[in-house]
Amino acid sequence: MKSSVVAQAVILAALALLPAAGEAIHFRDKVSWRSAIAPSEMVTVERAREWGDAAIWVDARPDEEFAADHVPGAISLNEDRWNELLPQFLAVWTPGKKVVVYCSSLSCNASREVARRLRKEAQLSDVFVLEGGWEAWLKKNR
Amino acid sequence: MAQEEQMNQTSNAERPTLNVELSGGATTSNVKRQKSYILWRILDFVLAGVFIFAGLSKMFDLDPLIADLRHLQFGDAFVHFQQLSVASPVEFASGIDNFKLVPWPVSVALAFYLPWLEIFCALGLLFRLLYRGALTLLIILILVFTLAITAAKVRGLDITCGCFGHASQHWSFPSHLATNLAILAGLVVLWLNAAAKEKRAD
Repeated sequence: MKSSVVAQAVILAALALLPAAGEAIHFRDKVSWRSAIAPSEMVTVERAREWGDAAIWVDARPDEEFAADHVPGAISLNEDRWNELLPQFLAVWTPGKKVVVYCSSLSCNASREVARRLRKEAQLSDVFVLEGGWEAWLKKNR
Repeated sequence: MAQEEQMNQTSNAERPTLNVELSGGATTSNVKRQKSYILWRILDFVLAGVFIFAGLSKMFDLDPLIADLRHLQFGDAFVHFQQLSVASPVEFASGIDNFKLVPWPVSVALAFYLPWLEIFCALGLLFRLLYRGALTLLIILILVFTLAITAAKVRGLDITCGCFGHASQHWSFPSHLATNLAILAGLVVLWLNAAAKEKRAD
């Protein structure tokens, strides 16, 4: 009886592999297996600084961290107060401006999520995630 | 002689009564069995529906459709159903990656694989094919999801499990946990029932 349950589970698990493999092939150009963010959606500190006034810096960290220190001119936009902060961000944003989103470090997710929501909910196209986040900015600027 | 005749008559007269009682009992038992079968099938369908929804919500952007159904706007729901867009697997992969339990490439592989596994197991439940294997896999999946969201909560990670795609994006930890435990209870009950039936058949 035990062996039949295991055999059934193995068959189902193997069957599910087939369409999953097909889907992986279908999305092979759209999904990066190396990083959560496609290279085209990331930007280094140097490159972002080159953009100068053509870019808006968005701080995706919690309010306390933003209040403690942030990139000069950055606007706070975090998921905790998304509905409240998004209109403030949109008031500053103008078409054609690039958006650079950052959070604490390389391992944080907030910038990725905020960038995703800006693309999807606010329909913005030029949204980039800062490689290395606030830590990387600090290293290059202080 | 007369006594013998009477005895024979009595015996003959009683036999049909006994038979009626027997067939009546069998009918009651059959009705009971049918009722319990229907109840088990309803549970099969409910749980299969939950997992099919869970799988599809990771593959398609169901947000507009769910919003329409929630507001009972069936006309709009039909239009949105026709315009269903495929969700990027990156979104679910990011959801898995947020747990910080597996490296990114594994998150991507799971994002491709898990929705299909859920759907195949749900179909197994619906059509009672590879039934106990499907139940076993679903129990393992729901246990892993529950442990993962609990571990994330303990580690202070403020994340959603992504178990039901965007639909569960704003669920609190207690509602996630309660939903998962209710599903787990249903699956375990079905598994035990199937095991008992198999034992009886042996």
